Amino acid sequence: MIQPQTRLNVADNSGARELMCIRILGASNRRYAYIGDIVVAVIKEAVPNTNLERSEVIRAVIVRTCKELKRSNGIIIQYDDNAAVVIDQEGNPKGTRIFCAIARELRQLNFTKIVSLAPEVL
Amino acid sequence: MFGAVGARTWLRYHSSHSESLLQQCRVGFSSLSSAVNGRNCVLDLHEIENVLTDVKADDVKVIPVPKHCDWADFMVVATGRSTWHVKNIAQALIYKAKQKQRGAERMLLPSVEGQEGGKWIVIDSGKVIVHALDEKARSYYNLEGLWTRGTIKNESDEDLQKALVKVRRKNNSKKPAQKECLSGVSMQEGCK
Repeated sequence: MIQPQTRLNVADNSGARELMCIRILGASNRRYAYIGDIVVAVIKEAVPNTNLERSEVIRAVIVRTCKELKRSNGIIIQYDDNAAVVIDQEGNPKGTRIFCAIARELRQLNFTKIVSLAPEVL
Repeated sequence: MFGAVGARTWLRYHSSHSESLLQQCRVGFSSLSSAVNGRNCVLDLHEIENVLTDVKADDVKVIPVPKHCDWADFMVVATGRSTWHVKNIAQALIYKAKQKQRGAERMLLPSVEGQEGGKWIVIDSGKVIVHALDEKARSYYNLEGLWTRGTIKNESDEDLQKALVKVRRKNNSKKPAQKECLSGVSMQEGCK
Protein backbone atom coordinates (compact mmCIF):
# COMPACT_ATOMS: atom_id res chain seq x y z
CA MET A 1 0.00 0.00 0.00
CA ILE A 2 2.04 2.87 -1.32
CA GLN A 3 0.66 6.34 -0.81
CA PRO A 4 2.14 9.82 -1.20
CA GLN A 5 5.05 10.39 1.21
CA THR A 6 5.97 6.68 1.26
CA ARG A 7 9.71 6.10 0.97
CA LEU A 8 10.64 3.41 -1.56
CA ASN A 9 13.82 1.48 -2.16
CA VAL A 10 15.12 1.17 -5.70
CA ALA A 11 15.35 -2.32 -7.21
CA ASP A 12 17.51 -1.52 -10.27
CA ASN A 13 20.90 -0.05 -11.15
CA SER A 14 19.55 3.29 -12.40
CA GLY A 15 21.53 5.25 -9.80
CA ALA A 16 18.76 6.30 -7.45
CA ARG A 17 18.85 4.94 -3.93
CA GLU A 18 15.69 6.12 -2.31
CA LEU A 19 12.44 7.47 -3.72
CA MET A 20 9.47 9.23 -2.18
CA CYS A 21 6.10 8.68 -3.77
CA ILE A 22 4.26 11.93 -4.49
CA ARG A 23 1.39 10.80 -6.70
CA ILE A 24 -0.28 7.59 -7.82
CA LEU A 25 -1.31 7.47 -11.45
CA GLY A 26 -4.45 5.84 -12.75
CA ALA A 27 -7.42 7.62 -11.21
CA SER A 28 -8.08 11.04 -9.74
CA ASN A 29 -8.66 10.00 -6.17
CA ARG A 30 -6.66 6.87 -5.88
CA ARG A 31 -5.40 6.07 -2.41
CA TYR A 32 -2.90 3.25 -2.64
CA ALA A 33 -0.59 1.71 -5.19
CA TYR A 34 0.20 -2.01 -5.27
CA ILE A 35 2.58 -4.17 -7.30
CA GLY A 36 2.47 -3.18 -10.96
CA ASP A 37 1.18 0.37 -10.48
CA ILE A 38 2.94 3.46 -11.75
CA VAL A 39 3.69 6.25 -9.30
CA VAL A 40 5.31 9.65 -9.64
CA ALA A 41 8.21 9.94 -7.23
CA VAL A 42 11.03 12.21 -6.12
CA ILE A 43 14.58 10.96 -5.79
CA LYS A 44 15.56 11.52 -2.19
CA GLU A 45 18.98 9.97 -2.36
CA ALA A 46 21.12 9.08 -5.36
CA VAL A 47 24.44 7.39 -6.06
CA PRO A 48 27.05 10.06 -6.85
CA ASN A 49 28.17 10.52 -10.47
CA THR A 50 25.13 8.96 -12.13
CA ASN A 51 22.51 10.26 -14.54
CA LEU A 52 19.87 10.69 -11.88
CA GLU A 53 20.16 13.37 -9.24
CA ARG A 54 18.59 14.19 -5.93
CA SER A 55 15.21 15.98 -6.05
CA GLU A 56 14.50 14.89 -9.60
CA VAL A 57 10.89 13.92 -10.38
CA ILE A 58 10.55 10.55 -12.13
CA ARG A 59 8.07 7.77 -12.73
CA ALA A 60 8.45 4.37 -11.15
CA VAL A 61 6.75 0.98 -11.19
CA ILE A 62 6.16 -0.71 -7.85
CA VAL A 63 7.77 -4.18 -7.79
CA ARG A 64 7.88 -5.11 -4.10
CA THR A 65 5.38 -4.31 -1.38
CA CYS A 66 5.04 -5.18 2.26
CA LYS A 67 1.34 -5.54 1.64
CA GLU A 68 0.75 -9.07 0.49
CA LEU A 69 -0.21 -9.89 -3.09
CA LYS A 70 -2.78 -12.66 -3.27
CA ARG A 71 -3.30 -14.96 -6.21
CA SER A 72 -6.52 -16.82 -6.85
CA ASN A 73 -4.75 -20.16 -6.30
CA GLY A 74 -3.91 -19.23 -2.73
CA ILE A 75 -0.30 -18.14 -3.16
CA ILE A 76 0.60 -15.03 -1.18
CA ILE A 77 3.63 -12.97 -2.12
CA GLN A 78 4.91 -10.55 0.47
CA TYR A 79 8.26 -8.79 0.63
CA ASP A 80 10.00 -7.16 3.53
CA ASP A 81 10.22 -3.71 1.97
CA ASN A 82 8.63 -1.46 -0.62
CA ALA A 83 10.64 -1.03 -3.80
CA ALA A 84 10.22 0.40 -7.28
CA VAL A 85 11.93 0.45 -10.67
CA VAL A 86 12.60 3.80 -12.33
CA ILE A 87 11.08 4.18 -15.82
CA ASP A 88 10.88 7.04 -18.30
CA GLN A 89 7.78 8.48 -19.95
CA GLU A 90 7.75 5.79 -22.64
CA GLY A 91 7.94 2.95 -20.14
CA ASN A 92 11.55 1.96 -20.77
CA PRO A 93 13.44 1.20 -17.58
CA LYS A 94 16.27 3.64 -16.77
CA GLY A 95 18.50 0.98 -15.33
CA THR A 96 19.77 -2.04 -17.23
CA ARG A 97 19.44 -4.71 -14.57
CA ILE A 98 16.94 -5.50 -11.84
CA PHE A 99 18.03 -7.13 -8.64
CA CYS A 100 15.07 -8.90 -7.13
CA ALA A 101 12.68 -11.72 -7.83
CA ILE A 102 9.63 -10.26 -9.50
CA ALA A 103 5.99 -11.33 -9.50
CA ARG A 104 4.69 -12.55 -12.83
CA GLU A 105 1.67 -10.31 -12.55
CA LEU A 106 3.92 -7.59 -13.94
CA ARG A 107 4.00 -9.38 -17.29
CA GLN A 108 0.24 -9.42 -17.48
CA LEU A 109 0.15 -5.72 -16.66
CA ASN A 110 2.37 -5.12 -19.70
CA PHE A 111 5.72 -4.61 -18.01
CA THR A 112 7.43 -7.38 -19.98
CA LYS A 113 10.56 -5.24 -20.27
CA ILE A 114 11.02 -5.19 -16.52
CA VAL A 115 10.31 -8.92 -16.30
CA SER A 116 12.87 -9.71 -18.99
CA LEU A 117 15.57 -7.76 -17.13
CA ALA A 118 14.89 -9.49 -13.83
CA PRO A 119 16.94 -12.45 -12.63
CA GLU A 120 13.98 -14.48 -11.43
CA VAL A 121 10.23 -14.51 -11.85
CA LEU A 122 7.98 -15.68 -9.04
CA MET B 1 -9.10 -11.35 -8.95
CA PHE B 2 -9.42 -13.26 -12.17
CA GLY B 3 -11.80 -10.67 -13.50
CA ALA B 4 -9.50 -7.85 -12.51
CA VAL B 5 -6.52 -9.41 -14.27
CA GLY B 6 -8.63 -10.21 -17.31
CA ALA B 7 -9.89 -6.67 -17.62
CA ARG B 8 -6.43 -5.20 -17.41
CA THR B 9 -4.77 -7.58 -19.84
CA TRP B 10 -5.54 -6.73 -23.37
CA LEU B 11 -5.45 -10.30 -24.52
CA ARG B 12 -7.99 -11.56 -22.07
CA TYR B 13 -10.22 -8.65 -22.88
CA HIS B 14 -11.17 -10.24 -26.18
CA SER B 15 -12.23 -13.58 -24.82
CA SER B 16 -15.82 -13.77 -23.73
CA HIS B 17 -16.53 -14.10 -20.06
CA SER B 18 -18.29 -17.46 -20.24
CA GLU B 19 -15.38 -19.10 -22.00
CA SER B 20 -12.90 -17.71 -19.57
CA LEU B 21 -14.97 -19.11 -16.74
CA LEU B 22 -15.04 -22.51 -18.39
CA GLN B 23 -11.31 -22.42 -18.85
CA GLN B 24 -10.90 -21.52 -15.25
CA CYS B 25 -12.96 -24.51 -14.21
CA ARG B 26 -10.87 -26.83 -16.34
CA VAL B 27 -7.57 -25.57 -15.09
CA GLY B 28 -8.83 -25.31 -11.59
CA PHE B 29 -7.50 -22.48 -9.54
CA SER B 30 -4.42 -21.71 -11.57
CA SER B 31 -5.82 -18.82 -13.53
CA LEU B 32 -2.34 -17.48 -14.10
CA SER B 33 -1.09 -20.51 -15.96
CA SER B 34 -4.23 -20.64 -18.06
CA ALA B 35 -3.70 -17.04 -19.10
CA VAL B 36 -0.20 -17.90 -20.21
CA ASN B 37 -1.18 -21.14 -21.94
CA GLY B 38 -3.92 -19.37 -23.81
CA ARG B 39 -1.30 -17.38 -25.67
CA ASN B 40 0.66 -20.42 -26.75
CA CYS B 41 -0.43 -20.66 -30.31
CA VAL B 42 -0.13 -17.04 -31.43
CA LEU B 43 3.18 -17.20 -33.31
CA ASP B 44 5.69 -19.98 -33.91
CA LEU B 45 9.42 -19.53 -33.80
CA HIS B 46 9.80 -20.31 -37.53
CA GLU B 47 7.16 -17.81 -38.52
CA ILE B 48 8.81 -15.15 -36.41
CA GLU B 49 12.17 -15.84 -38.01
CA ASN B 50 10.64 -15.67 -41.50
CA VAL B 51 8.94 -12.36 -40.73
CA LEU B 52 12.14 -10.92 -39.28
CA THR B 53 14.13 -11.84 -42.40
CA ASP B 54 11.37 -10.39 -44.58
CA VAL B 55 11.50 -7.00 -42.86
CA LYS B 56 15.31 -7.12 -42.91
CA ALA B 57 15.86 -6.91 -39.18
CA ASP B 58 19.59 -6.95 -38.42
CA ASP B 59 21.42 -9.31 -36.16
CA VAL B 60 18.59 -11.65 -35.19
CA LYS B 61 19.45 -13.88 -32.26
CA VAL B 62 17.32 -16.64 -30.82
CA ILE B 63 18.14 -17.39 -27.21
CA PRO B 64 16.66 -20.40 -25.44
CA VAL B 65 15.67 -19.30 -21.97
CA PRO B 66 17.31 -21.22 -19.11
CA LYS B 67 15.14 -23.93 -17.68
CA HIS B 68 14.63 -22.44 -14.28
CA CYS B 69 12.67 -19.59 -15.89
CA ASP B 70 9.36 -21.14 -16.82
CA TRP B 71 7.72 -17.98 -18.02
CA ALA B 72 9.02 -18.22 -21.61
CA ASP B 73 10.80 -20.68 -23.88
CA PHE B 74 12.62 -18.48 -26.37
CA MET B 75 13.76 -14.89 -26.52
CA VAL B 76 14.32 -13.39 -29.96
CA VAL B 77 16.39 -10.22 -30.14
CA ALA B 78 16.42 -8.14 -33.33
CA THR B 79 17.88 -4.75 -34.21
CA GLY B 80 16.17 -2.09 -36.30
CA ARG B 81 18.02 0.70 -38.04
CA SER B 82 15.70 3.49 -36.93
CA THR B 83 12.65 3.98 -34.75
CA TRP B 84 10.48 3.58 -37.85
CA HIS B 85 12.16 0.32 -38.68
CA VAL B 86 11.67 -0.98 -35.15
CA LYS B 87 7.99 -0.04 -35.29
CA ASN B 88 7.66 -1.76 -38.65
CA ILE B 89 9.13 -4.96 -37.25
CA ALA B 90 6.46 -4.95 -34.56
CA GLN B 91 3.73 -4.16 -37.06
CA ALA B 92 4.84 -6.98 -39.34
CA LEU B 93 4.66 -9.49 -36.50
CA ILE B 94 1.18 -8.35 -35.50
CA TYR B 95 0.07 -8.50 -39.14
CA LYS B 96 1.40 -12.04 -39.38
CA ALA B 97 -0.55 -13.06 -36.28
CA LYS B 98 -3.71 -11.57 -37.76
CA GLN B 99 -3.14 -13.28 -41.09
CA LYS B 100 -2.64 -16.61 -39.42
CA GLN B 101 -5.93 -16.42 -37.58
CA ARG B 102 -7.99 -15.02 -40.40
CA GLY B 103 -11.55 -16.29 -40.21
CA ALA B 104 -11.28 -17.29 -36.59
CA GLU B 105 -14.06 -16.16 -34.35
CA ARG B 106 -11.78 -14.59 -31.81
CA MET B 107 -8.34 -13.45 -32.65
CA LEU B 108 -5.58 -13.81 -30.08
CA LEU B 109 -3.10 -11.05 -30.64
CA PRO B 110 0.33 -10.84 -29.05
CA SER B 111 0.63 -8.14 -26.42
CA VAL B 112 2.87 -5.30 -27.54
CA GLU B 113 4.75 -2.95 -25.26
CA GLY B 114 6.55 0.25 -26.16
CA GLN B 115 4.88 0.87 -29.50
CA GLU B 116 4.90 4.67 -29.09
CA GLY B 117 8.57 5.12 -28.37
CA GLY B 118 10.13 2.86 -30.96
CA LYS B 119 13.37 2.36 -29.06
CA TRP B 120 12.49 -0.97 -27.54
CA ILE B 121 9.34 -2.86 -28.50
CA VAL B 122 8.50 -6.17 -26.88
CA ILE B 123 6.09 -8.50 -28.67
CA ASP B 124 4.98 -11.10 -26.17
CA SER B 125 3.30 -14.02 -27.92
CA GLY B 126 3.18 -16.43 -25.02
CA LYS B 127 6.15 -18.76 -25.07
CA VAL B 128 8.21 -16.74 -27.55
CA ILE B 129 9.13 -13.17 -26.70
CA VAL B 130 10.47 -10.89 -29.43
CA HIS B 131 12.53 -7.83 -28.53
CA ALA B 132 12.95 -5.27 -31.30
CA LEU B 133 15.47 -2.63 -30.31
CA ASP B 134 17.43 0.13 -32.00
CA GLU B 135 21.20 -0.13 -31.87
CA LYS B 136 21.75 2.22 -28.93
CA ALA B 137 19.15 0.51 -26.79
CA ARG B 138 20.53 -2.89 -27.69
CA SER B 139 24.04 -2.05 -26.57
CA TYR B 140 22.69 -0.24 -23.49
CA TYR B 141 20.51 -3.03 -22.16
CA ASN B 142 22.75 -5.88 -23.39
CA LEU B 143 19.96 -8.46 -23.31
CA GLU B 144 22.08 -11.20 -24.87
CA GLY B 145 24.63 -10.78 -22.13
CA LEU B 146 21.93 -11.21 -19.53
CA TRP B 147 20.27 -14.23 -21.11
CA THR B 148 23.12 -16.14 -22.71
CA ARG B 149 25.42 -15.84 -19.76
CA GLY B 150 23.20 -17.96 -17.54
CA THR B 151 26.43 -18.93 -15.89
CA ILE B 152 26.46 -16.20 -13.31
CA LYS B 153 26.05 -18.88 -10.72
CA ASN B 154 28.91 -20.92 -12.18
CA GLU B 155 31.25 -17.95 -12.04
CA SER B 156 30.40 -17.29 -8.44
CA ASP B 157 30.89 -20.99 -7.77
CA GLU B 158 34.41 -20.83 -9.13
CA ASP B 159 35.19 -17.91 -6.89
CA LEU B 160 33.76 -19.77 -3.94
CA GLN B 161 35.83 -22.85 -4.67
CA LYS B 162 38.95 -20.76 -4.89
CA ALA B 163 38.08 -19.16 -1.60
CA LEU B 164 37.55 -22.50 0.08
CA VAL B 165 40.78 -24.11 -1.06
CA LYS B 166 43.26 -24.38 1.77
CA VAL B 167 46.33 -22.32 1.13
CA ARG B 168 49.44 -22.76 3.21
CA ARG B 169 50.35 -19.63 5.04
CA LYS B 170 53.45 -17.82 3.99
CA ASN B 171 56.29 -18.40 6.31
CA ASN B 172 57.37 -14.92 7.30
CA SER B 173 59.49 -15.93 10.19
CA LYS B 174 63.10 -15.03 9.86
CA LYS B 175 64.31 -18.35 11.08
CA PRO B 176 65.27 -20.57 8.15
CA ALA B 177 62.86 -23.49 7.87
CA GLN B 178 65.57 -26.14 7.43
CA LYS B 179 67.22 -25.33 10.69
CA GLU B 180 63.95 -25.87 12.52
CA CYS B 181 63.63 -29.29 11.00
CA LEU B 182 67.15 -30.15 11.88
CA SER B 183 66.73 -28.93 15.41
CA GLY B 184 63.50 -30.92 15.68
CA VAL B 185 65.29 -34.04 14.54
CA SER B 186 68.14 -33.41 16.93
CA MET B 187 65.63 -32.85 19.73
CA GLN B 188 63.98 -36.16 18.98
CA GLU B 189 67.34 -37.84 18.91
CA GLY B 190 68.19 -36.19 22.18
CA CYS B 191 65.03 -37.55 23.75
CA LYS B 192 65.92 -41.02 22.62
